[in-house]
Amino acid sequence: MARINPEFTNELKKFGAFDTNACYNCGNCTAVCSLSDEDNSFPRKMIRYSVLGLESEIQTSLDPWLCYYCGECSTTCPREADPGELMMSLRRWLSAKYDWTGLSGLLYKSKTASAIAFLLLLVAVVWFAAYEQFNIETVMHYGHFFEMAAITLVFTLILLPNIIHMWWLTVLKPGIKAPLFAYFKATSELVVHMFTQKRTLGCDDSQVRWVEHFILVLAYLSLLFTTVFLNWFSSQSVFVIVLGYVESVLIFLVTFDFIRRRIQKNDEVSKYSHPSDWLFVIWLFLIGLTAFVVRLFIDFNFLVNNIWLYLVHLIVMVQWALLIVPFGKWTHFLYRSFAIYFNCLTLAPQKLEKQADAL
Amino acid sequence: MKKKVGVYICHCGGNISDYVDVEKVRQSVESINGVYLAKTTMFACADSNQKDMVEDIREQNLDGVVVAACSPKLHLLTFRAVVERAGMNKYNFVHANIREQVSWAHSDNKTGATEKAIQIVKAAIAKVQNSEALEPVKVQATKAVAVIGAGVAGMRAAIELAEAGSEVYLIERSFFVGGRIAQWDNICGTEETGKELVTRLYDEVIKHKHVTLFTGAEVIENRGSVGNFMLKVKVTPRYFKLPCSDGKLQEAIDVCPVIVPDEFNFNITSRKAIYHNYPSEYPQLPAIDMENCTRCGKCENVCSSIDFTQKTEYLNLKVGSVLLATGYDPYEPKKGEFAYGEIDHVVTLPQFKRIVHYCDEKLSYKGKDIKHIAYIYCVGSRQVDGENKYCSRYCCTVNIHTAITVKKKYKNIYNYHFNRGIRTYGKQEVWYDESSRLGDIYLQSFDNDPPVVEKRGDKILVKIKDVLTTDKQLEVVADLVVLVTGMVPRKDNSIGNLLKIPKGRDNFFNEIHMKLRPVETVIDGVTIAGASQGPKNVMESVNSALAAATKSFSLVDSGELALEPTVAEVDEQTCEWCGKCDEACPFNAFEKVEIEGKLIARVNPVVCKGCGMCLPVCPVNALNLIGLTDKDVENMISALIPND
Repeated sequence: MARINPEFTNELKKFGAFDTNACYNCGNCTAVCSLSDEDNSFPRKMIRYSVLGLESEIQTSLDPWLCYYCGECSTTCPREADPGELMMSLRRWLSAKYDWTGLSGLLYKSKTASAIAFLLLLVAVVWFAAYEQFNIETVMHYGHFFEMAAITLVFTLILLPNIIHMWWLTVLKPGIKAPLFAYFKATSELVVHMFTQKRTLGCDDSQVRWVEHFILVLAYLSLLFTTVFLNWFSSQSVFVIVLGYVESVLIFLVTFDFIRRRIQKNDEVSKYSHPSDWLFVIWLFLIGLTAFVVRLFIDFNFLVNNIWLYLVHLIVMVQWALLIVPFGKWTHFLYRSFAIYFNCLTLAPQKLEKQADAL
Repeated sequence: MKKKVGVYICHCGGNISDYVDVEKVRQSVESINGVYLAKTTMFACADSNQKDMVEDIREQNLDGVVVAACSPKLHLLTFRAVVERAGMNKYNFVHANIREQVSWAHSDNKTGATEKAIQIVKAAIAKVQNSEALEPVKVQATKAVAVIGAGVAGMRAAIELAEAGSEVYLIERSFFVGGRIAQWDNICGTEETGKELVTRLYDEVIKHKHVTLFTGAEVIENRGSVGNFMLKVKVTPRYFKLPCSDGKLQEAIDVCPVIVPDEFNFNITSRKAIYHNYPSEYPQLPAIDMENCTRCGKCENVCSSIDFTQKTEYLNLKVGSVLLATGYDPYEPKKGEFAYGEIDHVVTLPQFKRIVHYCDEKLSYKGKDIKHIAYIYCVGSRQVDGENKYCSRYCCTVNIHTAITVKKKYKNIYNYHFNRGIRTYGKQEVWYDESSRLGDIYLQSFDNDPPVVEKRGDKILVKIKDVLTTDKQLEVVADLVVLVTGMVPRKDNSIGNLLKIPKGRDNFFNEIHMKLRPVETVIDGVTIAGASQGPKNVMESVNSALAAATKSFSLVDSGELALEPTVAEVDEQTCEWCGKCDEACPFNAFEKVEIEGKLIARVNPVVCKGCGMCLPVCPVNALNLIGLTDKDVENMISALIPND
């Protein structure tokens, strides 16, 4: 027995949803969706749950993560209820629900809170640099140190507990009893989807979107590796230096294209941009661009007299690492791939049952 | 015996001649004694053949005509008109059906079909040879119509009839006009209030010199028939000479000690024995409900216009036609039906509309603020177990319209519609759309699995297995449950019995033909309009009212009515009144009369429909049907049996 809560849609609107009430349950969205299947029928079910405000059903569902937003449902919806954007909003809402700190929700819902957080970190970085008397070497040293510390802390304190929370909500709570070997078996799916977003290929729309996204993910992850572990900014190795250049260029080129699309609004997927979407693409663009220019200044020996440039890069980095990665859109990288991983677990017992029935 | 009978056998373009050898039929009958000419024709109904027939009848001086063709249902009237054009009495024409009953039925046996066709045509000839010229029964019609019920349908019909030039008696049982619409505020579609509509209609009714309005009036007796109904009307006084002077009425109401449930508000409030429905109602004169009044006299002391000496009056009205617009009652849920009568905050849609009427700033009922409202649809309609199988048509739209009104009128209202499929047909779909967009939640169940209303603590829960959410069990905490009740026939429908109006399976008054004769009843001269015939919204009620008015007017306007002469007749010699024919007659056409000291039955030819129900029950065979006498039938049987 689930209790209806009509006020839920008001909450969901803060995460970007539009006119969910327009839905009259025709099911067209599910019919046109190329990713929806017998096991996971969406988006109609999720829209119905949202209209009725069945929070617990939505929380325990993986469906929003299995949608890769081609936008076909929104284009063909006879009531213009924008099911695609509703699924997007549900992903934001779910990210907020998984986050044990509650900061995600705050930042998603409030532009003011986001602005204050970003501003505070800017002030902190500038204050720290001033404290170090704008000594470029010290600042860069601590900058590099910060990167390593941030990765470790954000992952262990925020992301890992949130993934466990997600697991608890979507696997344990609904009572899915997956055998241990299923967890091992599904790991390959996790890795493949995390690095390739293979499922997007099932969408009907142009696959340029997937190619760009694929390049971006690889470039981002390798740049992270190059700066943090190969210490790009201090490296003397030509290979490492060139590698970093290529990665950063790819990042800002692809994100530039993403930003262009969000401005032009030609595709369904880039028609609506929540503040979190803008922050994500712009900050990623800035990371690529500033990293590229910083290394360029190093190579041409300009940086010593232009510490401000490194400061800009560091500010962007700090805001990215402490806000967007743990509490912003960055998390979809993890939640999407883990959703597929958990989905494999939920399917495992069903398949066993089906086999048993067949026998 | 006729000497000059003309027989026409139709090919029907092959429909008949492909299976029946029409030439053989012609040859078999042409030599029959009395048959003057026998012809075959490609299409008997074609203009050219009709002309030939007219010529034949005129030039050959035919005295009887048989057409063997399709079913008389299709062309009896056509050929009757043909012979009339030629100057022959139309009852000297006999129609033989050799298509539906022969060629189509026996397409597998051509020889047999031809044989059967011959017999049927012979029988028809046998009948026409003894047929008699008959003249229609003529009745003088009174140019007046009684319209019963002064609701929206009745008042609209009355105005239309009066405009056309008929005298109109508008008879209303309650003390105030307007019927159901007087009880509604904004009515969906035009957003006018019911009061506004009543005012407009009443103004016209009153200013029209041909309309006489009776309130507190009831038809208690009916004699006569189409053209001349004699109605006895009982008029109950309202015990008011004039309106009370300023402020005195309220004082008189205040001192009245009698408190009864107020049916105008569907019993959610109470009223006194001295009452009026709302300040500007019509007629603008309060009334005293003598059934409940104790005659304590307190009101008389306050208001001098009250007059207890007024007496019940009886009027005799003579009218040519009666138009029934007696309306409907809202379905009254049984105790315990969705917790009605068990939980305080379960009300019907009409009650809810009155609650909304009385709440201005915020919606509250019985001391509780209302925010979450659950509407349960199809209560009393489309019943699985009950008798009301029909859909009441108006309730989906009206309820959704009410839900929108409520949402706009008050703050923070949440509407939940527990439906079985929404039927906001036609243009009314826009309100469904509006309500969905305003955030109303629609939950749907199948008829065999209705929602459940229960009380847990001080909360009312409505539960449903929602087919729109993959049969998930859902529940809503509601402050108020509104049962969307349908329409049922009036509890007191005695007027129908008085006039012998047949009722349909749904117990509403029944028309002759749903599509082709939608406002006439089998009782000649009685038409039906509005929701007395079945669930209708205001627009549909007025549509049918105008149709019924036109139909009634066409009866009384001519001054004289020509009725079918093919009715039953009584042989006064043989008849010894036993009353069996009277019992068998569905139309009340018999009366007991005394002729020279002998009691016999007499047929009122105006009322008799010639159905023949009385004939077989007569123990002395004193009854005959004009146009289809025993002799006719015997002759036809003799012709049907091959005599060799």
